[in-house]
Amino acid sequence: MRSNAGLVFALPALVVLFMLIAYPVVYTGWLSVTDDQGNLVGLKNFSAVLRPRVTTQALWNTLWWVAGSIVFQVLLGVATAILLNQNFPGRALVRSVALVPWIIPGIVAATTWAWMFHTEFGIINYMMTGVGILPEPIGWLTRGDTVLPAMIAINVWKLFPFVAIMVLAALQSIPNDLYEAARMDGANYWGEIRHVMLPQIRPVVTAVTLLLVIWGLNAITIIYAITRGGPANRTLITPIQIFRLAFEAVEFNQAAALSVLFFAVVMVVVFVYIRLLADRAGEGT
Amino acid sequence: MSAIPSEAGSLTRPGLGWPLILLGSALVVFVCLFPFVWMGVSSIKELRELYTIPPHWWPENPTLANYEKVIFQSNIPRYFLNSIIISVGSTGLALILAIFAANGFARFRFRGQAFWQSCVLVGQLLPTAAIIVPLFITLRVLGLVNTYWGLIMVYMIITLPLSVWMLTSYFRAIPIELEEAAIVDGASRLRILFAITLPLSLPGIMAVLVYAFITTWNEFIFALCFATDSSVKTLPIGLAEFSTEFNTDWGAVMAASMVMTVPIALLFLIFQKHFVGGLTAGATKG
Repeated sequence: MRSNAGLVFALPALVVLFMLIAYPVVYTGWLSVTDDQGNLVGLKNFSAVLRPRVTTQALWNTLWWVAGSIVFQVLLGVATAILLNQNFPGRALVRSVALVPWIIPGIVAATTWAWMFHTEFGIINYMMTGVGILPEPIGWLTRGDTVLPAMIAINVWKLFPFVAIMVLAALQSIPNDLYEAARMDGANYWGEIRHVMLPQIRPVVTAVTLLLVIWGLNAITIIYAITRGGPANRTLITPIQIFRLAFEAVEFNQAAALSVLFFAVVMVVVFVYIRLLADRAGEGT
Repeated sequence: MSAIPSEAGSLTRPGLGWPLILLGSALVVFVCLFPFVWMGVSSIKELRELYTIPPHWWPENPTLANYEKVIFQSNIPRYFLNSIIISVGSTGLALILAIFAANGFARFRFRGQAFWQSCVLVGQLLPTAAIIVPLFITLRVLGLVNTYWGLIMVYMIITLPLSVWMLTSYFRAIPIELEEAAIVDGASRLRILFAITLPLSLPGIMAVLVYAFITTWNEFIFALCFATDSSVKTLPIGLAEFSTEFNTDWGAVMAASMVMTVPIALLFLIFQKHFVGGLTAGATKG
């Protein structure tokens, strides 16, 4: 029915979202071009925050963090979904257990994995040296070349179940006719995965990947709780840099300038992605 | 089309073959469950046994000493209470706002509807790092830093966007004929919402409740910035304090982790079916 009553119903939520989301975004823009006295200073904050080498390093770390996380989250998530779409006894149990990482609070996941990654007493070094993968225990969280991969592993563990649930829901809505048609054409199960399942789940995988990009760009908890961006900035991603600028260095205006740049990048990602989704929908697959 | 993926609709053909299914299942169960199990095992070990090389798979003398430490000699119980107050408050408020907004979006056509709905979605995609500074300053101006209300408001807006989307798709799935019949009988829009729409969408409402509660209960970064006084600190902050001390007491940290995880895991187990159905509907359709 056509009436403005709908807007009236939606209004309280919209007002709250506006006050606590739209307003802060505009306010960040204002902070980014002023100093701590509120005087306009042009682009001074931007140049101050862009000049140090650490900003570039944080950007690269962020790229590695997001890309590395997503590749494994999607691959493991889709594989798990295909497994859970099988009919076997105990499936319901496996399905519930598979959600555990996702339910565990981020900070708990971080501390538990930090304990498991412990150089001397950690179970991971013990298991890996035990089966001969590693010749000797390594300092996962203190070595520059292992610390970011370790963080990525925790992030993958935390979120691949989410991908699995979403893809599983999509797999279960595929009509049986499609499988029958594929089998008439002589496809075996791997053929069905390739020619029926993967094309059918593509829209969901695209949508979920967008969410994962956003969450990856947002993620602070795991890294901040374990390393705070260290050692030697090896795990410093841009959100953590913003956070530390604001709340440890108390440079609100520089933090705001970096936020604006970060926000712009995120919006470009979102925009490109939405366009991509729209184009694909237009192909009429 | 139903918004909930049905168990019965799944395929019945064995495709991957038993060895692969068995191996895959074992792998999934081990990878997902092991850290949680190890948390539990570590939490009942004596201090001496935690720092043993090689690590023991099972404690020789299981003990509740770590739990005693957490429950009687730390601030964790207070933080637990704070977490409950804040989670319940923000979940309740988010649910009420989301019910009205979703009803508006699902059952009416109005000017700018698509635009307003996209605004809600953008709210879901905004990066935390980009809004945390101005949000902090806003809360400071309003005098809401270090208050329950401050965190309740912040968490309400974090969970609101997805809650609105989840509920909108649930409300749309309810046959509109039921409401039309009530309109003919002269019922008001509010009456229809409370007497017809809400009872029929109880699973969706449960899903939103669980989603909002878990998100709030688990949140770390906003709490870290907006609650620096122990009278309002939440559990995640308490846990981080335990483990950032110079000498980490890993046994106590693991016990505190269990205290924080078990309630949320139970809540999830009880409502799992609704939660998963509602979330997939909200995040992939809309």
